[in-house]
Amino acid sequence: MKMEEVSMSSLDNSKLEGLAQDILSDLVEDACLGLCFEVHRAVKQGYFFLDDTDQESMRDFEIVDQPGLDVFGQVYNQWKNKECVCPNCSRSIAASRFAPHLEKCLGMGRNSSRIANRRIVTGNNTNNKSESDQEDNDDVNDNDWSYGAEKKAKKRKSDKNPNSPRRSKSFKHKSSMMGPRRRLDNQESPRMLMKDEAFPQ
Amino acid sequence: MSKDSQMRVAINQKLIEMGERERLKELLRAKLVECGWKDQLKAHCKDVIKEKGLEHVTVEDLVTEVTPKGRALVPDSVKKELLQRIRAFLAQHATL
Repeated sequence: MKMEEVSMSSLDNSKLEGLAQDILSDLVEDACLGLCFEVHRAVKQGYFFLDDTDQESMRDFEIVDQPGLDVFGQVYNQWKNKECVCPNCSRSIAASRFAPHLEKCLGMGRNSSRIANRRIVTGNNTNNKSESDQEDNDDVNDNDWSYGAEKKAKKRKSDKNPNSPRRSKSFKHKSSMMGPRRRLDNQESPRMLMKDEAFPQ
Repeated sequence: MSKDSQMRVAINQKLIEMGERERLKELLRAKLVECGWKDQLKAHCKDVIKEKGLEHVTVEDLVTEVTPKGRALVPDSVKKELLQRIRAFLAQHATL
């Protein structure tokens, strides 16, 4: 033990440097060997050449860079105007509105119980159009359900379906009744301000 | 056994015992992947394999073809960093 310590401490710098170089080349050789094993295994298992392909199939999957087309060469927004047919009420709905429609139509989601209740009521009495609340009112002016609004309007009357969530027309009434009162409130506020200003003095 | 080689064995033993050799290996591997060394050598392997034939290639063939090239292709910056780590280790442990 004592011998070893002496021999180690008596090393000069050039010897240390040589040692460091040797360790480095050992490590590099290890890395090469590791790579060789890896490649050899890949070759024997048959997955080494999987990532090369011929020029022709590369050309098939080239990225398209043209205006109006996406990277796959497909027409941009080609699905925008697609319509889906609702399986419940068999109306055709714009694809972007289909999910919210289906939620209401099937009576799922957070409004489900309320809508289900209403459906029972309207099922008993189809003339009862008074109950609707703010949250469901995006169905009221339902031109945005589908893109060909006029075309669909005729169809809608013909196949009136009691399962459809679209129902009451009372929203417009409500908002026109609310209008004047709000304006009155606004007129009151300046007077209030003047009072507040006078108060501290 | 000469004094010199005895010392070498002792140092290598220490490198392994301390786990430093494993750490250095991992560092080197990461650096080599990062700088594209691995991809270069893989491309070279592809040539070798195509030349020898897919069925007949052996690990020995690959080692003899790849190792010299692999050694030459290690970038200087990677070498420098590794050497620095090794020197630091030697400075700590060679004088103990």
